[in-house]
Amino acid sequence: MRKTWSSMLLRRLLQSILVLIGVSILIFGISRMVPGDPARMALGPRTPEWAVENLRKQLNLDKPLPVQYGLWLLKMLRGDLGESLVTRRLVNDDLRDFLPATAELIVVAAIIEIIGGILLGVFAARYSQTWFDGFTRVLAYLGVATPSFVWAIIFLLIFSFAWPILPATGRLSAGIITPPRITGMIVLDGILSGNFAAAWDCLLHLILPAISLAMYGVAQSARITRASMIENMERDSVYAHAAAGVPRRVIMTKYVLKPSLIPTVSVMALDIVAMAGNAFLVEMIFNYPGLSRYGMTAMLNKDLNAIVAVILILGLCFVVVNIIVDFIVALLDPRVAHYGGV
Amino acid sequence: MFERYGGTKKALLILLFVVLLLQAGSICKGQAFRPDEWIVREPGAFPLYPDPAVGDDNIECIALNNVYEGLVFPDPIKGVVPHLATEWEAEPGGQKFVFKLREGVKFHNGDELTAEDVVFSMERLQTIGEGFAYLYEVVEDVKALDKYTVEFTLSEPVGPFVEMLVRLYIVNKNQVMANLVTPGQYGELGDYGKRWLLMNDAGSGPYTIREMELESHMLAEKFEDYWGGFHENAPNFIKLIATGEPVTVRTLLGRRELEITDMWQPMESLMAAARIEGVELAYLPCAQNLQIMLNTKRAPTDDIHFRKALAYCMDYNTVADKMYIGSPVAQGPVISMVAGHKKDMEVYEMDLDKAVEELKKSKYYNQLDKYPVELSWIAEVPEEEKIALLLQANAAKIGVKVEIWKKQWGHVIADAMRPETTANATIMFVGLHFPEAGSLLKSRYHSSSCGGWEQMEWLQDDEIDMLIDKAFATVDKDERFAIYGDIQERLVELCPTLWLVDHAEVRAYQEGYLDWPLANHMKAGGEILCPLMGSFDYFRDMKVFPEKRAALLGK
Repeated sequence: MRKTWSSMLLRRLLQSILVLIGVSILIFGISRMVPGDPARMALGPRTPEWAVENLRKQLNLDKPLPVQYGLWLLKMLRGDLGESLVTRRLVNDDLRDFLPATAELIVVAAIIEIIGGILLGVFAARYSQTWFDGFTRVLAYLGVATPSFVWAIIFLLIFSFAWPILPATGRLSAGIITPPRITGMIVLDGILSGNFAAAWDCLLHLILPAISLAMYGVAQSARITRASMIENMERDSVYAHAAAGVPRRVIMTKYVLKPSLIPTVSVMALDIVAMAGNAFLVEMIFNYPGLSRYGMTAMLNKDLNAIVAVILILGLCFVVVNIIVDFIVALLDPRVAHYGGV
Repeated sequence: MFERYGGTKKALLILLFVVLLLQAGSICKGQAFRPDEWIVREPGAFPLYPDPAVGDDNIECIALNNVYEGLVFPDPIKGVVPHLATEWEAEPGGQKFVFKLREGVKFHNGDELTAEDVVFSMERLQTIGEGFAYLYEVVEDVKALDKYTVEFTLSEPVGPFVEMLVRLYIVNKNQVMANLVTPGQYGELGDYGKRWLLMNDAGSGPYTIREMELESHMLAEKFEDYWGGFHENAPNFIKLIATGEPVTVRTLLGRRELEITDMWQPMESLMAAARIEGVELAYLPCAQNLQIMLNTKRAPTDDIHFRKALAYCMDYNTVADKMYIGSPVAQGPVISMVAGHKKDMEVYEMDLDKAVEELKKSKYYNQLDKYPVELSWIAEVPEEEKIALLLQANAAKIGVKVEIWKKQWGHVIADAMRPETTANATIMFVGLHFPEAGSLLKSRYHSSSCGGWEQMEWLQDDEIDMLIDKAFATVDKDERFAIYGDIQERLVELCPTLWLVDHAEVRAYQEGYLDWPLANHMKAGGEILCPLMGSFDYFRDMKVFPEKRAALLGK
């Protein structure tokens, strides 16, 4: 069994490296083939040609595409992702600032999605064909059909404008001292450094964007969980356990919920990672300085190094989450690992 | 027993944790500083580069005007006035200018501002070549004659050189040199302080940067040793916020967390904002003019009579009254309030009879169906589509077919590089680089600007070129303005452009607790003499009243 797990991990890691190399070539090529001169766009239309030419040389844009990729790859392997044309800083520094902000947002959104989605699904299945099930269904339709930025606007207008109980923008209120940087995630840094005011304030700032982002996932997870639960509740083995006197709570958690979570976990995990890439409108509405907004700005301004870095980071997240999901699924259903299905 | 109550215990523990966290939050909140009591906040499109040798966008000009200072100051009401320079002299040839500096001016770190800093600032700007460096290509040499005297030598005579200096912001040489990152692209000067100046400042202006967070905000606080002093209600803090989303801006206004909106808010959103108690709209004629550029090198707009026919069938009043409320109809090639604008000029008005008359004189009159007008509008400015449709509808009345093209900004710039790819007509906002008519005339109609987005007319008229060069070489202001007048009259005659409206910025602001002298001046029917980008938002002149804000919040 141990051998199966380790070989499974090794195989998945090798596949992931190949995927990431492929993604980097693809994005590197596409970003350079899109019309428009990145150096001219960065410096503006009135900057003299000599200054633009200097920047082109600095970015190696005067060299053939394969040479450009080779030079970029060498630098990347040394941990240098180059300089951003938009922020005029090292991309590494930008990622250090923007990645934790988005990670923090996604973690809170993920918690909301996991708890909300599973709870709604379980109760909708448990009280199937009741008003609660109907309510969950309507909520799910709304959640799936409404884009996250629309939720963001609705929540902002309700909870920050009409009934102002939550902050509207940013990560911290004016007057709150930013805790010393440990992870870059203010809630965590605030708790670790004892600055609970900052942690609490940041958490309040995260609520509306996180719920806006999580709405789609909550809706989808609730529907999947409900459907799986109802299917598993009808299985003969469940009736057999009930007849044998196994407590209902045990049956529901061990023999119904556990196998029902397999499809939910797979879908949920990918939803959560996708949030990092799709969050740009929500980040814009709440003026949240995150990676998704940074990536979108980079794309609009043809900021080559930043585009490649952001997409690689997102790709890496997908790969890691996929591996984790495979292991969770294998834990939930050992047959998957045993038969090498992962 | 324990198993039975396990769940309840966990729930109680979680509840206790949340209560403790809440408690901790409320305790710690009291320890923080609160800059929001005496603050003016404004949104804007980031990224913001607060480096005088890099920034040139609207939000950057606002930041630079408040954090740095120049030899002269672009006062919207008074015009270009002495600032760090108390007096100056120009040699009659217009190639040498000597400035006497104000003594005792302190940089934010306490260093004294001297002529060496002025020399360093100009050299740094020219070496880097970004931002407003293009304005100073004519500066051949700059030297400090003594601690408080600086001399500029130009490669050719430039009459409005003093007006052009509004964009030379003085940086602290010692502070920048102490923060160079080496190696860098400028040899022994490393990165010339570019990286450091993106997050910090080395200025002497009334505000100094306290926090700079990319994609989030710039917070600056009052510089207590500012030579010009402050009145007692001047804001202690200013904050530029990286947002422009109408719903966010409106929410922040309603929460009294934003004092002034940016210039890009849609009219519907501004009208909604004006319904919030204590919020009013300010109409500020700005440094931009909305125009339709006609390509004079491509059929059918190469024909002067065809161009005049288009000029006579445009409905200027509808653009001013219905689309750009508060923006007056343009009175020629130069924005009406700019120094050097020729008043009482005869300009084009909508008159379909005259349009037909001109069209009949055109060589394309009998073959109009073969020569449709290709009209482009900028995809990023959706309001422009309405103007395109308006011209299309009116032109159809005289038998001219207008084909409308929506183009991305990058596409427009690429097309503008050659006359054969430039559209017959392009709707465009154009702005001033320095506050004088010569700025617009040169950037718009001199042959040297062909191939860029600022001149899609491809006018290439020798007489216009000669007159512009002559005006720039004339130091005497009255003489120079007389030549500007001749240029404007000739341009109206050549009709290379449909001058639509002098654009007015419409801003919502917290009139209930913010005193904005410029908005008051305009409300009282005043005029603006120096409508330069960023100059309207000079926060030192404003007054805030926190008690009035608290009263509005309490309602």
